[in-house]
Amino acid sequence: MTSTIAMTTGILLVLIGLFAILTQKDLIRIIVGFSIFDIGVHVIMISIGYISDATAPIIENLSQLGQSYVDPVPQALVLTAIVIGLGISAFMLTFAVFMFKKRGSLDINSFRDLKW
Amino acid sequence: MVEPVYLIVVALGAAFSLGLLRKAGFVMHHLVLLLSLATMTAISAQWTVGLFTGSVSPAAIPTAGFSPPISINLQMGKTEGFLTLLVNLSVFLSSLFMIKTVKRRSVYVPMLMLVFASGLNGIIMTRDLFNLFVFIEIMSIALAGLIVLNGDIQQLGAGFKYILAGALTSGLMLIGIIFTYHTTGSLNIDTIANALTPELKAVGYAGLFLIFIGVLIELKPFPVNGFGLDVYESAHPAVGAVVSAGAATATLYAFAKIAIMSGDLFLELSMVVGAVTFVGMNVVALQQKIANRLLGYSSLSQVGLLVLVWSLVKWQNIANGDLIVLGLLVTHAFAKATLFWLSGIIQKEKIEDWGIIKQRIYLLFPFAIALLALIGLPPFPSFFAKWELIMALAANQSHLAIALILGGSLVEAVYLMRWFGHAFKNTAAEDETLSVSFCQLLPVFAGGLLLIGLGYPASLLSATASPIPWMLTAFVLFTFAMEFLPAKIKNIIVMAAIAWYGYPLLTTIGGYRVIFAGIFVIGALVTMIPGFSHKGNRLGFYPSLTMMFAGLIGIIEAKETMSFFFYWEMMTVGSYFLILRGKNSKPHALSYFLFSLGGAYLILAAFGYSFGQTTSVSLDTLSQVASTPYAALVMLFLSIGFMTKTASVGLHIWLPGAHAEAESDVSPMVSGILLKAGIFGLLMTFIALGDQKIGFVDIAYVLSWVGAISALVGNYLAAMQEDAKRLLAYSSVGQMGYALFGLSLMSHLGWLGALSLSVIHFTYKVILFLAVGGIVYRLKTKNMYEMGGLIRKMPITFFAVLVSIIALSGIPPLAGFGGRWVAYNAVIEKGWMLQGAIIGFSGIIAFLYLFRLIHTIFLGQLKDAHRKVKEAPLPFLLPQMLLIGLVMFLSSRPHTFLAPIGEIVKEFKPDGALTWTGPLAQSHLGYWDGVMVMWVFMGLFAANFALLFIMNRRAQPVKQFNIVYAAERPARPETTHFAYNFFAPYRRALGFLEYPLATHFFDGITDFLHAAAGFIRRLYTGNGQTYLFQIVAFVVVVFLLANGGF
Amino acid sequence: MNIVYAVATIFITINYGLVLQGIIGKVYARVATRIGLRIYQPYINIIRQWVTRTSINHGIMYYLGPVFRFTGGGGILIFLPVIYGAPFFSSFSSAGDMLLIMYFMFLGTLGMALGGGESGHPYAAIAVTRGLAQTTAAEFPLILAIFSIVTQYQTLDVNQIVAAQQGSVLNWTLFTNPLATIAAMLAFLGSMMRSPFDVVLAPQEIPIGPPTEYQSQFLAMLMTNRTIFPVAKTILYVNLFFGGVALQDSWLLTFVIFFLKTFFVYMWSVFVGVSFPRFRVDQSVRWFLKAPAALGVLAIIFVQTGM
Repeated sequence: MTSTIAMTTGILLVLIGLFAILTQKDLIRIIVGFSIFDIGVHVIMISIGYISDATAPIIENLSQLGQSYVDPVPQALVLTAIVIGLGISAFMLTFAVFMFKKRGSLDINSFRDLKW
Repeated sequence: MVEPVYLIVVALGAAFSLGLLRKAGFVMHHLVLLLSLATMTAISAQWTVGLFTGSVSPAAIPTAGFSPPISINLQMGKTEGFLTLLVNLSVFLSSLFMIKTVKRRSVYVPMLMLVFASGLNGIIMTRDLFNLFVFIEIMSIALAGLIVLNGDIQQLGAGFKYILAGALTSGLMLIGIIFTYHTTGSLNIDTIANALTPELKAVGYAGLFLIFIGVLIELKPFPVNGFGLDVYESAHPAVGAVVSAGAATATLYAFAKIAIMSGDLFLELSMVVGAVTFVGMNVVALQQKIANRLLGYSSLSQVGLLVLVWSLVKWQNIANGDLIVLGLLVTHAFAKATLFWLSGIIQKEKIEDWGIIKQRIYLLFPFAIALLALIGLPPFPSFFAKWELIMALAANQSHLAIALILGGSLVEAVYLMRWFGHAFKNTAAEDETLSVSFCQLLPVFAGGLLLIGLGYPASLLSATASPIPWMLTAFVLFTFAMEFLPAKIKNIIVMAAIAWYGYPLLTTIGGYRVIFAGIFVIGALVTMIPGFSHKGNRLGFYPSLTMMFAGLIGIIEAKETMSFFFYWEMMTVGSYFLILRGKNSKPHALSYFLFSLGGAYLILAAFGYSFGQTTSVSLDTLSQVASTPYAALVMLFLSIGFMTKTASVGLHIWLPGAHAEAESDVSPMVSGILLKAGIFGLLMTFIALGDQKIGFVDIAYVLSWVGAISALVGNYLAAMQEDAKRLLAYSSVGQMGYALFGLSLMSHLGWLGALSLSVIHFTYKVILFLAVGGIVYRLKTKNMYEMGGLIRKMPITFFAVLVSIIALSGIPPLAGFGGRWVAYNAVIEKGWMLQGAIIGFSGIIAFLYLFRLIHTIFLGQLKDAHRKVKEAPLPFLLPQMLLIGLVMFLSSRPHTFLAPIGEIVKEFKPDGALTWTGPLAQSHLGYWDGVMVMWVFMGLFAANFALLFIMNRRAQPVKQFNIVYAAERPARPETTHFAYNFFAPYRRALGFLEYPLATHFFDGITDFLHAAAGFIRRLYTGNGQTYLFQIVAFVVVVFLLANGGF
Repeated sequence: MNIVYAVATIFITINYGLVLQGIIGKVYARVATRIGLRIYQPYINIIRQWVTRTSINHGIMYYLGPVFRFTGGGGILIFLPVIYGAPFFSSFSSAGDMLLIMYFMFLGTLGMALGGGESGHPYAAIAVTRGLAQTTAAEFPLILAIFSIVTQYQTLDVNQIVAAQQGSVLNWTLFTNPLATIAAMLAFLGSMMRSPFDVVLAPQEIPIGPPTEYQSQFLAMLMTNRTIFPVAKTILYVNLFFGGVALQDSWLLTFVIFFLKTFFVYMWSVFVGVSFPRFRVDQSVRWFLKAPAALGVLAIIFVQTGM
């Protein structure tokens, strides 16, 4: 149940993010859209590895061995993914800043120097 | 062996240490960069050598002390070794290239380069899905940083679009990875591949699809690659080079890993996407004028080709498929890198402005090498890869794939060679200078040399052919080395080499080949004599010339289809460069190249089908195809392929310009000698395959009509030319029409006629082109109406022209008549009267242009400007005299060459041979005694001359204007020299023959392609958001396509 | 010995040609209701030119032009079997078959064209272009007709073609292959320099063409050639289409047949010439490529299908 909710939320977030990326004209808003999209992806990842009523896969003593754990791999992956996503977001923001400095606009339509 | 993991460790370590060495200065930064890249190159080289020689075995490198699938593991096999070597070397060379040209001297550039390199190595070596994703991201982020090296707005825009697209696709990939993990319980590529049962494939389809499509979009398929094009266009050329050589290579391998992991799930899909990309990008590139963006189009199309070919060889289980892909890959990597580096040196945005390259003329060599390698011409690895591929595809009867690959390559050749034409022919503005540093030259020449050097090992890997006769190629390479010598010395060396190589060839080769060997070798020696009139060192001439003649000799010597094709292509390339040297020959050389390449591709396909049917690559066993269902197709392809060389009507439109605009001593080579290669090929085809029918239509019958109409149209158009060399060029179209017609008769006499015509045409066409060449050399014009009255100024040339036009027209007693006599006998014997009558009609039309040629140049009124013109230079006259001697010999003793040729033809067509009684030839229809005709002619001529001389020896010589001219004397020679629009009534009567049907047809095709390109490229709006939308749409469309959603 | 026969052939033909020219002059005159010149006027003309003392020379090719021309005309005559069965009237016919004769015809044309060209007069060149243009078209039906009869007789040897026509008048090609004969006779008109195909020379107005540029002995040689060339051509036609001239029991009869046949074939062009106005060159080119060419094609089809 929890994982279904998480999954649905994730997919919704991805779609919202995509919608923002595809419709917003402002660079900053597009970046925000990307962040939402990214978070949606992360939520989906977590929800995949989630097992109902299981605990975190942290083994402190041997008595915990028999319990059921959520899958640790997606959680590990998601950490990396978050870091990468953060890096990309930061990078995009930097670009946006420089682009604004050069052109004085944040509208994505005004960066069409290269085409065809 | 150094552990492969150090490839990543060195790169990352150096990158981080550079952060500490921030203040150490520019030199230090780049020293670290170059040293670490050199180390990485060395490591991968060591592994590659070890793995290929077998001294080490492939290694799997676990990390964190666990073995896979628990831990991430790397792998170093043959492919990984080779690919890491490739990417490390290209990044190293690019870094070297960058040193002098990067404006921003910050530590970040070397750092980014190193991070980028580590990403590439990681992508290639890793066997873990998520790790692959991480390395792709590392590469992308580093690349985004490298893109904005100069920090201008274009780069910022391109970089931003690139990150956006990358972020979207990596999101999709991540979802795919996690779903795949969910289905298979593993992230290890090999484990997943093994675990994928059909049920799991169905359940996990969405996940696998998302990973697949993510990697595919990283490869920038058409039409979702606008962001990639912007990167190529705006980025520093050195960055463009690493994107093309490094990133594309690594990503392709990632794609291959994913595709293998998914088990054949997406092979069809990637074939379609690859094919669409290859063809689509090549077509759209036709409209591109900006050099770097053009390179981008070309890169993406090549990546499309690689995706297509990789999927094809997997799908069809082609034996040495990996080697085919590697051959194409390595060529593309180094060729494209070389081109990007060159672009960095030239620094011209528009391809039209590349004429500046001639300020450093030696740069044309790597430029040409890279372009030719991309097109897949010999001796580069791509040539062998393409050969193997077509052979395999033809064997598997993948007609569509062959058509797409060859058709796409042809379109690619259009824009690449057009670019070369601009660079070679355009002139740069006076005040511009090109500065080059050593750091820039080294990568460029390394790239060029690597491409040449890799050709030889690539040829060894070929499974379908025995080794190429390399000696000729070696000599061609040697001529590059002696480029610094003066032209006269090079002329002697090359002539000596041809004589040295050709003489034993002539004595040993035998059969019908000896005729053509004679034309090629003797022709080469004779037509090279005018080369002595050149001063300076004539850069580029001798390598091209040697290429052409080596190619011609090579096709004679070839025993296998592959070496035939190898030298056929070499001949095409050499002659293209020769023709391109003419003053106004840019468009004509291009059209020559394209027609030849198109023809060559048909030949290639034909050889492929022949191999597929008979599994034999020997030229001698080509005849085995005759009994297979592919006989007609092979015959048709070979015929059309060779007919592009003989310029038969419909395929002739390249010839007039190419032959007329070539240099004075090149025209006789390409017209008198090169055309015979087509005849040779046709004869070879006909010998092997004989009569073939498509349905009820006999191919030979159709060809006889093509030959007849070529003769008619060629001769008619020749008569309508104002330009002397164009006249001769059209005349060649007509003459080759005769030869084609003769061959298509498929009888003893038909072939005898065609072969003797080939020999004779060689003599008089060389004489005529040399004569006209000498005149053009003196008068500096080719227009006949600007000449006139030159008989007194150039009597020797006049005599040469007189003899050769009599020989050409077939008037007895000169040698041309023999061929005609044989040909008409053949026609009547065969019964193809209508074509024969058209041939006869064209023969008479030939008088029109021959008279025009000799009259308007030598007779009529001498122009005031030419009163001090001297006779043509000796190097032009000497070969003419030699050949006139030959013509006279052949004329007075025609049986001495017709009878032996007849013997040769008897081998294939024993029926209907002539009977020779001394000089008297008898067919079953008629007879002819050439020697007696000659005696009668000489006797009558002498008697008449004596009579006239006795009667009016006191005839008073008069001056030019002493003519009855409406009771006046003409004021100026121009008003009295009748030359312009010489055959006006004829034009009024038969002008419809001039309608340029073929030109309009081919123009229509090119216009359509260009218009299509102009329309399609509007997809690339420049708006990043549009690109994102395209990506989303692409994913949806491909998904629906894959699942039959349409 | 052959050489003597050859010279004799040429000599006889020259005389015959001169007589023929005189007669034709008369015919033309009478059609135009004139009295006309004396019948031996051509003799006077030609002798006068041969003995003229003043002469000018434009250059070497100009000088050689008439030589080429006469070599061409004389060559055809001696390569032809003039009288079938009489070896001394077919002196060098063993040198080659019909193809040789057809091609050798062009030698003289070329020589004269070049000679006239060196005079530098534009009219010479204009006439040559017109003449060449018209000839190309006129030869086309002839080629078709010849292909047709060569297929019919399965030989290119003129002697054998004549031989095949012996025995009866109905064996003549005229009757066995009428289409080819008609096509060839129409083509014949184009090469005889008479109306409607005489714009090449335009004899009635400004005379143009290479002969105009020549005088004295040069012109004499050209005129001599003009007496034999049409005759030689006529002989070829007689041989191919009208049964040839076979050697009869008496020489007189042989010559009578020879004169009658060649005269009527020759007169065909004269009769047409006096009756029709003149074509422009482009008109005549188109004309030859229509009806005569179509007849030639039909002739080939009939022969090949055995109808």
